[in-house]
Amino acid sequence: MSSSIGIIGYGQTAYEKRTTRSLFSFLAEAGKKALDTAGLNFKDIDGLAICSFELPPDNTVTAAEQFGISVSWAYLGTAGSAGPVASVANAVRAIEAGQATTVLCIAGDNYDIGGHFRLMDNFSRGLRNYGTPLGFGGANGLFGIIQRKHMETYGTRAEDLGRIAVDQRRSARRNEHALLRGPMTLEDYLNARIIADPIRLYDCVLPCAGAEAVVIGALDRAPAGKRVKVLSGFERHNHPPMEIAPLRGGWELFADQLYAKAGYGPDDMDFVQLYDDYPIMVAIQLEDLGFCKKGEVSDFLARNSFSWDGSLPLNTGGGQLSCGQAGIGGGLLSVTEAVRQLRGEGRDRQVEKARRGLVAGYGMVGYGHGLSASSLILEAV
Amino acid sequence: MVAGSRYPQPLEDEDNRPFLDGWRSGKLFLQQSREGGRLFFYPRPVCPYSGSTDLVWKQASGKGRVLSYSLVMRPNDPSFNDDVPIILAEIRLEEGATLLGRIVLADPLQVQSGIAVELLPPSDAARYPLPTFRPTGNG
Repeated sequence: MSSSIGIIGYGQTAYEKRTTRSLFSFLAEAGKKALDTAGLNFKDIDGLAICSFELPPDNTVTAAEQFGISVSWAYLGTAGSAGPVASVANAVRAIEAGQATTVLCIAGDNYDIGGHFRLMDNFSRGLRNYGTPLGFGGANGLFGIIQRKHMETYGTRAEDLGRIAVDQRRSARRNEHALLRGPMTLEDYLNARIIADPIRLYDCVLPCAGAEAVVIGALDRAPAGKRVKVLSGFERHNHPPMEIAPLRGGWELFADQLYAKAGYGPDDMDFVQLYDDYPIMVAIQLEDLGFCKKGEVSDFLARNSFSWDGSLPLNTGGGQLSCGQAGIGGGLLSVTEAVRQLRGEGRDRQVEKARRGLVAGYGMVGYGHGLSASSLILEAV
Repeated sequence: MVAGSRYPQPLEDEDNRPFLDGWRSGKLFLQQSREGGRLFFYPRPVCPYSGSTDLVWKQASGKGRVLSYSLVMRPNDPSFNDDVPIILAEIRLEEGATLLGRIVLADPLQVQSGIAVELLPPSDAARYPLPTFRPTGNG
């Protein structure tokens, strides 16, 4: 991608377990904070991308009306929580194509646990008609099927998957934005109550309210040391087709191109921010994105550590598993944390000498698995 | 009112009416392109394998195997609360198509991946909004 375009600002709201605030107040606050860090105002934006489950009946254009801005490029995410990462890649391409000069990408939602179940019951026609009437248990029931299959096919162990939740919690303890900051041990993880066997409580995210935002534009508008280049970005939807519970996702199709275009491989990443709706999906991303071979992730997890100071820093702010999942905002949390690290603003969870990192998105649960996958490779320049 | 109507129901339309009508009498119908090829589920107006919109309905045997499953302790809808743990299974039917289905079993902890399952008898079908299974030989 163009050497002169990248991420020049980032922002986030506080997360709330329950809220009386409107969705637009979260989206506007995250957007304003991102613009503030770039030294820009809403009026400086001529491209707008929004990803939000709760946005209808509004859309990107009526959001522009709310913000009082006139835009030449408007993007509405349709890939669930894979959408925000995809929106960043699409914003870079829109700028390269001359459709806009400066794009604000926002993602967020304002729901809670009850709102999440209502959302899942009506997520798509396929799920509403052929999942909801089964008492499917929302995403937990579906991802329990995937996790059991991975365990039975490859011998993947719960105590290894638990390292993801436990090590991310260790990072979250240094993040004042995380809703869940208490200490967690592997014993806590393994002894937690069963939600959808084999899914346990600490495999699940806490649905909450909040929003995240980034600004995409000419890198020279950001001060030196605060410029984050987008080296490559890919997305894939509905892969593999007609499989209910595959042990792989769209990442496997574009991983080689993602690295080739960036000019780096998995070993060159100083950190990864993966989509952690469940540890099993983080494990599958590690396989599909080439950090280990398919089926060997349990051993990989056992011999690595994943906190901000670990051998492979993963979701260095605690991820959704500890911060909470602000709906689709969870799909941009990975990007804002990556930008924070690459700007050297991670404070007491700063990854040492963080120069580049990989971000992945995942989402749009269909009749079974999440249909959409996306990834970016980012570099401090 | 049938007992099963307490559960959330599928929304019936022209695409799924033959399937839902079939299950009301305890039968499971899959779709296929008229020219042949793989059978598929869930109901839709286009074959996901061939792209054909000229489709036919085929009655399945109702027999299959469990590929994987969850034991759901926290259902999405309160109408299922008395049923936990709900066995939510990915099932491969003899005809090759896969679907999500509930398995009903006196002791849910007896379920395992790989076991053979069959449709509940037609007399039990009215309780459940969608095709529901039991281990083969358990009736």
